Amino acid sequence: MPSTMTQQEQHQGRLAFIGGGNMAEAILGGLLACGYPLSQCVVSEPIQARCEFLQSKYPGLQTLSGPHANRLAVQGSKSSSSTQSMIQEGTIQVNATAASTDFAPAEVVILAVKPQVLRSVVIDLAPALRSLQPLVISIAAGIETSAIGRFMADGVDEEALTAGSVKLPPVIRVMPNTPALVLEGAAGMYATADTTAEQRAVAESLMAAVSKQVSWVETESLIDTVTGISGSGPAYFFLMMEAMEEAGVKLGMDRATAKALTIQTCLGAAKMAQLSSDDLETLRIKVTSPQGTTDAAIKAFEAGGFRDLVQKGVAAADARSRTLAKELGGAKL
Amino acid sequence: MLQSRLAFIGGGNMAEAILGGLLACGYPLSQCVVTEPLQARCEFLHSKYPGLQVLSGPQANILAVNGSESSSHTASLVDAGSVHINPTAASDMFPPAEVVILAVKPQVLRGVVSDLGETLHQRQPLVISIAAGIETSAIARFMAEGASSSLSTSSAIASTGPETKAPVTVQAQDLPPVIRVMPNTPALVNEGATGLYATPDTTPSQRKVAESLLGAVSKQVSWVNQESLIDTVTGISGSGPAYFFLMMEAMEDAAVKLGMDRETAKELTIQTCLGAAKMAQSSDDDLKTLRVKVTSPQGTTDAAIKTFEKGGFRELVAESVKAADSRSKSLAVELCGPSIGKDSKL
Repeated sequence: MPSTMTQQEQHQGRLAFIGGGNMAEAILGGLLACGYPLSQCVVSEPIQARCEFLQSKYPGLQTLSGPHANRLAVQGSKSSSSTQSMIQEGTIQVNATAASTDFAPAEVVILAVKPQVLRSVVIDLAPALRSLQPLVISIAAGIETSAIGRFMADGVDEEALTAGSVKLPPVIRVMPNTPALVLEGAAGMYATADTTAEQRAVAESLMAAVSKQVSWVETESLIDTVTGISGSGPAYFFLMMEAMEEAGVKLGMDRATAKALTIQTCLGAAKMAQLSSDDLETLRIKVTSPQGTTDAAIKAFEAGGFRDLVQKGVAAADARSRTLAKELGGAKL
Repeated sequence: MLQSRLAFIGGGNMAEAILGGLLACGYPLSQCVVTEPLQARCEFLHSKYPGLQVLSGPQANILAVNGSESSSHTASLVDAGSVHINPTAASDMFPPAEVVILAVKPQVLRGVVSDLGETLHQRQPLVISIAAGIETSAIARFMAEGASSSLSTSSAIASTGPETKAPVTVQAQDLPPVIRVMPNTPALVNEGATGLYATPDTTPSQRKVAESLLGAVSKQVSWVNQESLIDTVTGISGSGPAYFFLMMEAMEDAAVKLGMDRETAKELTIQTCLGAAKMAQSSDDDLKTLRVKVTSPQGTTDAAIKTFEKGGFRELVAESVKAADSRSKSLAVELCGPSIGKDSKL
């Protein structure tokens, strides 16, 4: 559930967004809209045009690109002069109109890069992450926390790790969904055993900036199920609505009316479900008079094996998520 | 702002939802009268809307439409046992209704409208029906039945069923105009999707009135230009909430089967449904494009969507919408008899 903390109590630590794509921007935008200090946010983003877009949309935001951008975003700038020399060397580009080119080390690092590049990004950042020990939050699909841990341990010998002389930062894995872009996300989260309650609260309040529902799962394997339900779920409802709109048109309704009525029906049903203490079966039964029009439709759904088909679809997304995790994570430790 | 005197004939859930939505928007309570046969329901409405005039009893509907021009007139009806009023209502006098909202169950509508026939004929309010399955031509027929039998000096003509047309002396153009509305249950949380059909004799101003009344509880209000499309509205938005409840229930069960706890499965599913709808409403993209944009090739969403397509998801949805549309049409025949052509003389 969204955080009920006051603005003062809310986490205000320094955030580093590694990757400035849609989801990162949605979270950043949601946080800023809730009053999060712009000066506490740094975004590292390789595509120059994307940096410029972010700079114009969020005036004063520090955006970094270039070969050392990720490291600088995490470590903070030691001094204006060291930042300047990096700029001169061409190892970073900064936002010249940013509020400041001085910023503290990151307390929270949000990994928002595509799953396929995450491994190399984290390996590059590994020394900085190990020395700073920020909270690491990953929104990358299909990358397990153990894999991230392995990438962060890159270059460290196993004895040092098992002896505990080298610590790895705690990782929280998040499966958000696209409606976060309209501040109506549903997010599932998994925290490794070494996270503190405070760190979990920080991750929750960050995701609550764009999600109306934030749920923790106890085992990491359930993140694949979250993927099958809320991660991929919006598309299932788009398909349902598309099919209903089409059905309306086929029966003689104009498309705009069919579309508008369908979408509002979806919204209304969801609102009723959220506001009611009834379970979904009861809600349906209450609106289904025997022998009525709704009854006729529901009977057709049931006779056609609707429930089974939905179950198969969800299971397929869940299974694909597990397979992807294997493909992207490499060998387990 | 709309301020017409409203008479709600029937005080059930949908009537209460519309009333509540209007009052919440600042509609004057004194302009609303509700008739409701169940005493317990009347008391509930009194307590939820203090000062609301709620009438029951044999003459309640007629009084609600006619209005009462004096306290003594009301008192005489009460004394005669013709009507029970709300003793704590703001006033026991009220003008004739300008808008009559028929909110009774379809099965009793014929009798209710017939009894009101002469009153409606005299007062000429705008008549808005939210009853499923009752066509505007049937409502007109029932009004005419009532008006004619009141006017007739001979004894009541036995009606042997819906196919029997009572001899009518009241002309169609002398009856009040009817607007038929198909709302849906989310109106109860002010998130309704509503289709409306207005007979050709309604004025633009009357259509605006109906639209703004339903707009009090609906976020989407759509006009259809043929009455047969009200059956399709039924198949889409009228019955539609149940389709999404079923979809969400199936997703919740699927997650539980995969090991998730039910509470988390339920909450994530419902918010996903809501989020998808919000995205669709705030986007210019059509639904197909929205889906394609979030479906990376070979990804998890792609796997699910392919499963749905292979399994005939679209066809199943189309069949079910059609089933509701067909049932709506056949219910109309059951309740009213076959459709009367639009140029038949009543």
